[in-house]
Amino acid sequence: MTEFLQFLVPGILIGGVYALLASGLGLIFGVMRVVNFAQADFMMLAMYLSWALFAGGIGMDPFLAMPGIFAVFLLLGMAIHWLFIRFVIGRHENHDAQVILTIGLGLIFQNLILIRYSSEPRVVAPSYANTGDFIGDIFISRARLYAFLLSLLVAALLFLFLNRTGTGRAIRAASENWEAATYMGINIDRTNRIAFGVGVALTAVGGAALVTFQSITPFVGLRFVVVMFAAVVLGGLGSVSGAFVGGVLIGIIQSVSQVWTSAAVKNVWVFALFLLILYVRPNGLFGKVQRAI
Amino acid sequence: MLEISDLCAGYDGIPALRSVDFRVGPREHVAILGPNGAGKTTLLKAISGTVVPDSGSISFDGQDLLAQPPHKRVEAGIVHVPQGRMIFASMTVADNLRLGSHRAAAQNRHDERRELVFEIFPALADMAGRDGGALSGGQQQMLAVARGVMACPRLLMLDEPSMGLAPRAADDIFEGVTRLMQSETTAMVVVEQRAHQALEVCDQAYVLESGEVSLEATSRLLLADERLAAAYLGSEL
Repeated sequence: MTEFLQFLVPGILIGGVYALLASGLGLIFGVMRVVNFAQADFMMLAMYLSWALFAGGIGMDPFLAMPGIFAVFLLLGMAIHWLFIRFVIGRHENHDAQVILTIGLGLIFQNLILIRYSSEPRVVAPSYANTGDFIGDIFISRARLYAFLLSLLVAALLFLFLNRTGTGRAIRAASENWEAATYMGINIDRTNRIAFGVGVALTAVGGAALVTFQSITPFVGLRFVVVMFAAVVLGGLGSVSGAFVGGVLIGIIQSVSQVWTSAAVKNVWVFALFLLILYVRPNGLFGKVQRAI
Repeated sequence: MLEISDLCAGYDGIPALRSVDFRVGPREHVAILGPNGAGKTTLLKAISGTVVPDSGSISFDGQDLLAQPPHKRVEAGIVHVPQGRMIFASMTVADNLRLGSHRAAAQNRHDERRELVFEIFPALADMAGRDGGALSGGQQQMLAVARGVMACPRLLMLDEPSMGLAPRAADDIFEGVTRLMQSETTAMVVVEQRAHQALEVCDQAYVLESGEVSLEATSRLLLADERLAAAYLGSEL
């Protein structure tokens, strides 16, 4: 039992971060039906920014840098929408162009970082990086606990934004029915731009929460992209809360499967469950077709 | 107030409107009648901006409407209650109404307008906390009209408010629309299959056929002259 809990608890903690990574991807898909293949590379960029702030002389703690990282990536996401994304969605919707555009952006990000920082793995090691506490017999890593608590906080803020603010309501309305939202006087281009910015910023914050226990390379996104997409599909396409639950679930499976099998095959279990859930519920856990967020 | 001249629009080259002239004066209530596929919905969509016409002009208070994006047209006071209701099913009735008052001129008047729509459609008053998707068809239609009224429209366009409803539910909608017309000075355009009811609440009527205006007359004339009505509206009246 203790051994099981010793795997379950870290699974929940890392699952919280997966949830944050996936919620950004889910928000963007839910609002503008764009599968953003560059999402994991925004995460990678955020990890490098976090590393630069920590190692680059200022020594800024990655968690204290979080509000700044959110703001930077909110603006970056809005700029990317304004420069590129808006030309391949809505009235000009073109799925082929969306795929080529977002994969291309990801490749450009990876290679710019490769040119600037090489492929040498970077680490961010604040004082609490390798410490933890025992609660009963269960060891809990400080860094992972902080990352998890941050994810809960951001999830709560996202919920308040989407449900309690005028802009959040407009985003939900546009994601459910863009034509009806247009008749309400909602500027769809603006809600898309904000949703893209917020979606990118959510994943960026998730990435920055990983840096204290995940080394950073230009291609680190590839390790997480599969998890992000699986979480979004598992939770139900277009459902942000579904993406959140999907992320936590994947974290738990990856971790708990190590009670029985090697860590090397943890994603095999993830995809076994993935197939099983999609077999039983083809729309994902929370995928109601008419419900977008 | 609204002036449309020589408007042509189509979908992928198939014409839906051919050289339509149409006008609505201040406080005027205008019915648009005609068979399915006549272009009635396309005309409303061209006014609200979700269809881009091929040629012609639309002006509102003397301003060129075609130069404005759809959300700016709502800001100007043109509010479209679309066919098929299009309520936000995953959101509560209260949130749907709140979205109705998204227009800048309506935001500060949310509470006052909400009281008004509950007077027009008393059945909605008890359902504020329910999800839009959990309402019956008739209640959803009431919500769709109420959501439009929340915006304090200067020109309110209702696209087939009785479509797909049982006769009783359709009567409830028309009762509400009648109450609305008595309490508000808003100009209105009503697209309707139930021609008789539409004519009773409107001053002026246009009949569209195959994308063209085949008749423009006062409601009184159409209601009084059975032969005219039969010629243009068939057995619908």
